[in-house]
Amino acid sequence: MIATFAALLTPEQVERVHEASLEILETVGLLVRNERARECFARHGCPVDSETEIVKLPRAIVEEYRRAYPPKFTFHGRDPQYDRTLPDDAPVIVTASSAPNLLDPVTGEERRAYSDDIARIARLIHELPGYDVFSISTLAEDTPPGQYSITRLYPTVKNCLKPIRCSALNPEDADAILRLGALIAGSEDAYRAHPFFTHHYCPVVSPLAMDFDSTEMLMYFTEKGYPNFGSIVPNAGMSSPLTLLGTLAQGNAEFLAWSALQQMIRPGAPLVYSFLSTVADMRRGAYAPGGVECAMLSLGHAQMARFYNVPNGGYIGQTNAKINDAQSGYETGMGALAGLLGGMDMFNLGGLLDALMCFDFAKAVIDDEIALMLKRLKRGFEFGEEDFALDEIAETGPGGTFLDKPRTYELMKTTGFLPDIADRDPRIRWTSRGALDTQSRAMNKVRDILTRNYTSFLSPDVDAHIRAEWEGLVSGELTAPAGWEKAVEAAPAMA
Amino acid sequence: MTREEILQGLFDNTVLGKAPEVKNLTQTGLDAQVDPVDLLYQALLPALQEVGRRFEVGDFFVPEMLMSAKAMQGALVLLRPLLAAKGEKTVGKVVMGTVKGDVHDIGKNLCNIMLEGAGFEVVDLGVNTSPEKFVDAIQKHQPDIVGFSAFLTTTMPMFKVNIEALKKAGLRDKVKVMVGGAPVTAHYAELAGADAYCPDASTTARKAKELIGAAGAAPGGVLAEAVVAVETMMSKVQE
Repeated sequence: MIATFAALLTPEQVERVHEASLEILETVGLLVRNERARECFARHGCPVDSETEIVKLPRAIVEEYRRAYPPKFTFHGRDPQYDRTLPDDAPVIVTASSAPNLLDPVTGEERRAYSDDIARIARLIHELPGYDVFSISTLAEDTPPGQYSITRLYPTVKNCLKPIRCSALNPEDADAILRLGALIAGSEDAYRAHPFFTHHYCPVVSPLAMDFDSTEMLMYFTEKGYPNFGSIVPNAGMSSPLTLLGTLAQGNAEFLAWSALQQMIRPGAPLVYSFLSTVADMRRGAYAPGGVECAMLSLGHAQMARFYNVPNGGYIGQTNAKINDAQSGYETGMGALAGLLGGMDMFNLGGLLDALMCFDFAKAVIDDEIALMLKRLKRGFEFGEEDFALDEIAETGPGGTFLDKPRTYELMKTTGFLPDIADRDPRIRWTSRGALDTQSRAMNKVRDILTRNYTSFLSPDVDAHIRAEWEGLVSGELTAPAGWEKAVEAAPAMA
Repeated sequence: MTREEILQGLFDNTVLGKAPEVKNLTQTGLDAQVDPVDLLYQALLPALQEVGRRFEVGDFFVPEMLMSAKAMQGALVLLRPLLAAKGEKTVGKVVMGTVKGDVHDIGKNLCNIMLEGAGFEVVDLGVNTSPEKFVDAIQKHQPDIVGFSAFLTTTMPMFKVNIEALKKAGLRDKVKVMVGGAPVTAHYAELAGADAYCPDASTTARKAKELIGAAGAAPGGVLAEAVVAVETMMSKVQE
């Protein structure tokens, strides 16, 4: 455990931010383009101007809902052993999602992603122990008409049992996702009892505007009682003021607004205060999630979430680097570490380069290791009397060695996190083994994982039902990338 | 004020992006019988070139570029009708809009400013623009170019839908199509059937000029030169 979280704001400052957000909601309000949402706000006492579509949220209403946020959120896996609850299981590591492009693992070229890439990524994330939730990393260029989410989810469910976070375009697309869930679980009721898809949307286009489709999805899943939450994404200097405080207050207001709508529809619906607040680089207007300010804003939002007693998290440890170089390392490392020490519960961390634009297999492996380091850090000091090892210190005595003690043998695999990718060999050994850099070692691990033989996580029966339901569905099969030889024998169990 | 003071003041204030001063000095210049062509060539265009130089060496940031372009816009509002009366053609007309289902518009708005600063007339249809609304606007305004903006991968498919609507209305060969937005690529633009892909606001101004040239309309005149100056400056943003 971490005894005290790092905090950039004092408790008085947190309250002042809250006040500023209330003022924004009460006096500026939001532009709500979705008529059903406007009607819902109006029914619950918010002034609505039907001409301008501006909804103002009186502070009393916001306060009523924010005091009732449930304090926990659970991501369900296909198998309950993969369930993860916020904040108890923090840090919960989620892949970062929906990149339009990826780096081909064999050629290194940047290209659009396809459904067979998603199959490989899903399997990789399933096999890597640092990841808790799979948020589908890329889009799929080979999507047949009307099968946007199914094309991404089908290869996923065949290759990954961990909880899945995904988005939906519209009610039709959302229906398809729920239908898929029911087919896999055996029935709609069975799926509802343990829903393994968590639905995500970006409900606010900063500044302070709620668009049609995302708002429709918020309402749809909340009405039906399926787990869902949204992320706010103000970009300082572009869609929010170029001050950290202004961006924090506006983003916080945007969270209070979408969550109020959700709670109006279903009081007590579980939610996550999720964010990706950034400061735009004013030199050329670059989107900069790799900037340290992103971490700072995350800490601010995390503090606000603790004030509201609601789970929090978001995109953190992202990088603007195009390759796995030092920039990628320090931007990801510093951001992720700041998030952990600042009390973030959920980390959308893995696999993306170039400011969320591009998925990279090696980055996913490197981020897995970073995730495991975060988890080691969160474990903190095991604090039992025996952990002082006073008896051992006394027995060993001055000038003795601990190397051959029973406790050393017992703890040799657990006290220190044993990294797979980070290299600690003396230079001469490292050189003799090929002088490999992080990128090469990570990509070797990718190749090792993707060339083993696996069994699909869908029974033939369920698979047949799914394929019958969606004609022209992609194959979803896991195949090794062309150019990599498949392993001859079946994979040994993961250590 | 002397002629020299007016021209120097116009230069300095355009570089610094002081729109009210630029507009006032432009009017002062016109009132003092300074030829509009001189105001353009001897003050405004050199100012834009200076802004480009400062941006290139990292002295000027994006907000400063925008301020200068906006100041230039204000001057062109006054100069355009006078130059047109002299027989100088406007560079062209562009209809711009964010596609249906999408409400993101920062990028589109930046493009509008760059286009206007380059001498184009821009008709902005706003966000969530249906194919029908684009068709109506093109019939009404008869632009040289239509620009589609999409921020979401889920709304990019509207590019193709819009182009089909243009074909159905018999307008496809009457207008050039530019597309852009964060997830858009040159390849996607090509597949959708667009004439140009614009990765950023600065390229938009440059590509718009190219498309006009490609359409065969002789741009000619000083406003076209203004476009060249702005695009040279903007190409440095590109780099």
